[in-house]
Amino acid sequence: MAEISFRNVSKRFGTTQAVDNASFTIADNEFFCLFGPPLSGKSTVLRLILGLETPDEGEVLIDGRVVNHIGPAARNIAMVFQNLALFPHMTAEQNVRFPLVERREPEARIKARVADAASKLHISHILHKHPGQLSGGERQRVAIARALVRDPAAYLMDDPISALDARLREEARVELKRMQREAGRTLVYVTHDQEEAMSVADRMAIFEHGAIRQIGTPDALYDQPTSAYVARLLGAPVMNILPMGANVITAPARPGAAHLGLRPEDLTVTPQPGAAATVTGVEPLGGYTVLTIAAAGETLRAMLRGQPAFATGTPVSLSAAPARLHFFGPDGTRLAG
Amino acid sequence: MSAITLQHLVKRFGAFTALKSMDLAIADGEFIALLGPSGCGKSTTMNIIAGMETPSEGRILFGERDMAGVPMGRRGVGFVFQNYAIFTHMSVRRNLDYGLRMTGRPAKEIARRTSAMAELLGLTDLLDRPAQGLSVNILQRLAIGRSAVMEPAIFLLDEPLSNVDAAFRAVMRTELKSLQRQFKQTMVYVTHDQLEAMTMADRIAVMDHGVLQQVGTPLEVYNTPANTFVARFIGSPGMNLFTGTLTTTSAGLAVDLGPLGISPPLALAQAAAAQQAKGAVIYGFRPEEVGLAPPSEPAFDLPLSLTERIGARTILHLGTPQAEVRAVFQSGTAIPEGLLRLAPAPAAVRLFDAGTGTALLVA
Repeated sequence: MAEISFRNVSKRFGTTQAVDNASFTIADNEFFCLFGPPLSGKSTVLRLILGLETPDEGEVLIDGRVVNHIGPAARNIAMVFQNLALFPHMTAEQNVRFPLVERREPEARIKARVADAASKLHISHILHKHPGQLSGGERQRVAIARALVRDPAAYLMDDPISALDARLREEARVELKRMQREAGRTLVYVTHDQEEAMSVADRMAIFEHGAIRQIGTPDALYDQPTSAYVARLLGAPVMNILPMGANVITAPARPGAAHLGLRPEDLTVTPQPGAAATVTGVEPLGGYTVLTIAAAGETLRAMLRGQPAFATGTPVSLSAAPARLHFFGPDGTRLAG
Repeated sequence: MSAITLQHLVKRFGAFTALKSMDLAIADGEFIALLGPSGCGKSTTMNIIAGMETPSEGRILFGERDMAGVPMGRRGVGFVFQNYAIFTHMSVRRNLDYGLRMTGRPAKEIARRTSAMAELLGLTDLLDRPAQGLSVNILQRLAIGRSAVMEPAIFLLDEPLSNVDAAFRAVMRTELKSLQRQFKQTMVYVTHDQLEAMTMADRIAVMDHGVLQQVGTPLEVYNTPANTFVARFIGSPGMNLFTGTLTTTSAGLAVDLGPLGISPPLALAQAAAAQQAKGAVIYGFRPEEVGLAPPSEPAFDLPLSLTERIGARTILHLGTPQAEVRAVFQSGTAIPEGLLRLAPAPAAVRLFDAGTGTALLVA
């Protein structure tokens, strides 16, 4: 059981504003993702939750109780670090048992909890091995099992699967999601991979320069970003953002709009002799194809289903459903509607 | 001539064989990706081309010239590794023009080539900054520039983007591709990321356990994988694969897939290919090539266990832990509740020999 709240929390290191007036509430049992570019404040927020840092201003609350001056040990929050920090001289089982042995739990309880965590994470068959004998994915699961046995109120993970191969990462994120659903518990998760964040998170907080720009479900952030900043952080290829009046696509007039945003998958591309836009690059990726298109001095990316036969140099006309257009003001704020 | 030919390359480290008879012909000016999981032999292959390792058996030719005994420094190759080795006490400019200065080029030429490369890689504004304190992203870009500015005829890159963040990786893929288009080097690019290989390479050499599994264009390895390893490794997610036995139904030849039930009847070409199988077959289809089937048509009935909506694409995880099926739909597609009736497009079904994992080719 843990609901985690920040109330107007700020944290400075010297002249750097690491966290700037952050307020949010992570619900009990929620998979909550902190997302943003490097040094945008995500890891500092984790350290504030864990109790490794104390806020300069504002309050950190766990289950409604202010914990600003409560040390990490008393918060009962488990952390899985990026480098996993497994003890190399211990077997997987000894690693998983470690937090309970430290707490001098009775042996029967240790056995039961280790067995439970091992079965949830499908590592029962590798418990006798040392970390050096395990694959990256297996080490990952051992580290998570070690966090799980403590029966923490919440667990925090700082980019835990970034060291895995691309293919293993896709599998590991699904496993993480399943594990969190089965085990319950609040999970606060930091990643710099937008695809991974959208895959696992119930909700996400988007950071920029220590401030939270938007909080919401991955769907809401993707479909209704409040700013061009958020719009361009999520989605691959990134959203096309064009100056209004760039004469690339037919768009209704919108008072106050400075830029027009278009997701690559929302562009319809039709070969048309004599059209002003030209295909300048074709990336066939199997299930979909990414086109690079030059139009009116702008460069756009379009994402098409399947393997349509486009050649470099083909003149094309571009269109998009009006409902799929995004409009942004001069300061990058998305205009509602 | 900077074509590269690998002939029967073998590399042993003690009792461990890292590379088992590798044959590969890389054309002059080609961008080839060596793709595979950790330990598949891709880096060993690259190190042998670079001259950092000596093969236990076999030959490497650059053009017609045998490279045996030619030291690394004389091979005229440029390389970039995952861990860029940037001189942090020097400025960006001094790092970038280091090789040109070492080879004693005229000052005018050094200045011209350095500023052209800086422009290409967006480093112009940073030229007089010290390298120390720059982000990992910029340092890796600088490492690429430092090698590329030498305009090597052969350019080797070993997972150069695995330390940079995901957003920057997408930018760098485009830049590397345009760099290669501009300088027309022969590019050998080692990666474990199929998306990097698919995006950039003219051809992909897929490797596993020291064995070359298939060489082909991105679409060849995606559409006609030579075996189940390639089928699973290429694609995001990889191909769905299930072992079954051929069975004759009233609608024609099909595959009995045990817990998944009986497949929809095979199309003619697939049915002909299936005849080559001796017994069990592996039935495969890509997650992107399934559709929701109406009740009147044969399909798999699958419970939905997890949904990943990733922007434009939604990945559905269906079936049971014993027989997991993944399907990719465009986000916004209406997905019904409960059991889903899904069928692969008949022409998209791929069959493999269950014993060897080799593709049963559709004529």
